[in-house]
Amino acid sequence: MLNSRGALEGLRVLDLTDLKGHLCCRLLAEMGADVIKVEPPGGDPARRIGPFVDERPHRDRSLFFWFYNLNKRSLTLDLDRPEGAATFRRLAAGADIVVESFKPGTLARMGLEWDVLHALNPALILCSIAPFGQTGPYRDLEADDSVLTALSGMLYVNGFPNEAPVRPLGLQAYHSACYYAAIATMCALFARDSSGEGQWIDLSMQEAAASAVEHVSAGYFGAGLVEPRRGTLHWSRFFRVGRCRDGYVMHCTLGDWTSLVEWVKGDRKAQDLVGEEWNELARRRDDAEHLFDVLDDWVKAYSRDVLLERAQLLRLPYASVRNLEELPDDEQLNSRGYFHDVEHPELGRTIRYPGAPYLFSGSPWRVWRRPPLLGEHTVEILGDELGISAKELAMLVAEGLI
Amino acid sequence: MGRMALEGVRILDFTWVVAGPVATRILADQGAEVIKIERGGLAEVSVLGPRRTGLQGELHRNKRSAAINMADPRGVQVARRLAAISDLVMDNFSARVMRGWGMDYQSLIKVKPDIICISMSGLGHTGPRCNYVSYGPTLQALAGFTRMMADERGEPAGYGYSYADMAGGYTGALAALIALWHRKRTGQGQFVDLSQFEALVGLVGPAMLDISVNGRSQAPPGWKSQEAPAAPHGVYRCRPRGDDDDRRIVIAVHTQAEWARFVGAIGNPAWTADPRFRTLYLRIRNSDDLDAHVGRWASERDAEEAASTLQRCEVAAGVVLNGADLCARDPQLRERGFFAPVKLPGGGLTHVPGVPMRLSATPGSIRTPAPEVGEDNDYVLGQLLKLSRAERDELIAQGAVWSR
Repeated sequence: MLNSRGALEGLRVLDLTDLKGHLCCRLLAEMGADVIKVEPPGGDPARRIGPFVDERPHRDRSLFFWFYNLNKRSLTLDLDRPEGAATFRRLAAGADIVVESFKPGTLARMGLEWDVLHALNPALILCSIAPFGQTGPYRDLEADDSVLTALSGMLYVNGFPNEAPVRPLGLQAYHSACYYAAIATMCALFARDSSGEGQWIDLSMQEAAASAVEHVSAGYFGAGLVEPRRGTLHWSRFFRVGRCRDGYVMHCTLGDWTSLVEWVKGDRKAQDLVGEEWNELARRRDDAEHLFDVLDDWVKAYSRDVLLERAQLLRLPYASVRNLEELPDDEQLNSRGYFHDVEHPELGRTIRYPGAPYLFSGSPWRVWRRPPLLGEHTVEILGDELGISAKELAMLVAEGLI
Repeated sequence: MGRMALEGVRILDFTWVVAGPVATRILADQGAEVIKIERGGLAEVSVLGPRRTGLQGELHRNKRSAAINMADPRGVQVARRLAAISDLVMDNFSARVMRGWGMDYQSLIKVKPDIICISMSGLGHTGPRCNYVSYGPTLQALAGFTRMMADERGEPAGYGYSYADMAGGYTGALAALIALWHRKRTGQGQFVDLSQFEALVGLVGPAMLDISVNGRSQAPPGWKSQEAPAAPHGVYRCRPRGDDDDRRIVIAVHTQAEWARFVGAIGNPAWTADPRFRTLYLRIRNSDDLDAHVGRWASERDAEEAASTLQRCEVAAGVVLNGADLCARDPQLRERGFFAPVKLPGGGLTHVPGVPMRLSATPGSIRTPAPEVGEDNDYVLGQLLKLSRAERDELIAQGAVWSR
């Protein structure tokens, strides 16, 4: 299997998603599935989202698009016109999976809804990702990632009390939904192996994001509490950010208490933490504000990295609060080969991509294709693989369908 | 109850805290038999709260629990026999723990040649920092999330919860399915070395590329849109509801067409004709003034009313839901029955977030509440391993297994 593309080799995925669903298909592509990104003739709108290479906006220079579309092929096809939709049905007849993130009802308008696709190819799996899913009173409402963080309970619990909530970093409502969509698609593949039948997955981004703030529902259903914003004090009350000489650290009071308090005592900063009662987890939780105030005073004199290394030697789960710029040089990431250099011959450049969070011993994760240029594989897919004649292709081009 | 996608898959689950249990929960919801192997006999309070309700109720529904003492060689023997009849063994310890027990991949292929082992450690099994002790919040700090989510004063304010545990959980579940698929096709098991830290770094991919390609430093984005540019784009305070003055909505206006709908929705006030707000570029450049106007509009309305006024004109907007809004009042989640009731043994009911993926033929389900520690000892030792009552009692007497 060493030369294979990965565990999902042999599966064909038609990717109709916009930026809400890009990650789902990337997750399948990097495991070896043949993912064909079907773009409108003008290109996926995400190609217009920055940052861009050298900050020069161009549809084939969007780093945003690149990150989410690694390992995919690109086909342009105008699904809004009947001839385009007809061509898509021919593709779907030979595909395993279709993933889409249109507004609910759009596929039906195109003549590509579940009943049609299922009749055409009973083994096909359709995964529909939508802000609120395919049913319910909010089905047709508008939402981007920030609105979804609000409506999933995610936003309310980020930030300090008496301040506005702080927006989560990095499109996490979309990402949560895309992970669940990829997981659901894999589950549908297993079910298909025994039944021979595909199925339709209804993925609500609101539900996926709501599942990512489990302490909120746990607090409500478990204890009747409305979880407040607590600044950086974690809801468990065992973590808080403290300021040190050259930055910030994340305190953690779950590690071996004796080691921590002996260290603080050695620095003559322990104040009342010397008492036996602090050995109890419950005491450290209940009196967390005071405990962290004392520890804040203690870390003031330390540099962030010295504190981190010494804490870890004592097996205390402290961490430094780092900037994103520190990650590309991170020793741990680099020693695990986390970043992957990918050739972009058109630009004469090698681009360093973040990789996957898992190392598979038997079925590799790999980059086997840089993100596609717009329509790069249209002729290859429609002509060579689907058998559309050169003449017919010329017609499709002339009519602006591809 | 219908068919389940993962029926027949058995997972020996050594995971604890949150990230690992999220991964195995996702698989259990789809029908995998997940057997938690855990320490019994603990009198101390769990930092995660009670077992059947709250967070643990959410994490461990649909699972079984066996209380096996891994510090005892006879306990390890029991666990190895269980591994021999399982498809996957999952853990979220650092590398040395499973190796110390003889439960690592290299040891287990001797009892089950096609076993799949998924280890979801904090920073991975290799590299200079593989033995760092970590939790979700500390990984978020290392990965830049804590700092990049700055508040109005510029202070780090990142995540009041452990999103890292979710990212780790999703990737763990996905890795398990990929490895199972590979085994189905080739007959071969494998070892997956998953780093929760790397799972987080992968979620800020465009920023990572911006740094490596353009060398650009990353400022906390605040309310700047992190997808296509937008203005207005932010959180706006609304009229108090009773004594609750923390009522807010989020509004996101991306395109020129959306701006026109927004202006119509709020009734074409004179300020919207200001030339400084004419194009998206100008609205972003003058967003402080723009936000002041939008903020005034919002402050005179109830949050729900403001959001629905905008949504009626197809403008993306939503109330910043607090826990009660989310769990008890949101019309969409209620209509779809997202929060699911779970019957507790001995009467009573709790609710947990439902299965956040709806498969038409094999929808997954919530079948059983979280088990108490060791609740399934008899099933696991008796039915699965065919140990007699006397043999089980002996293991308990020896301290290899905790009685419930």
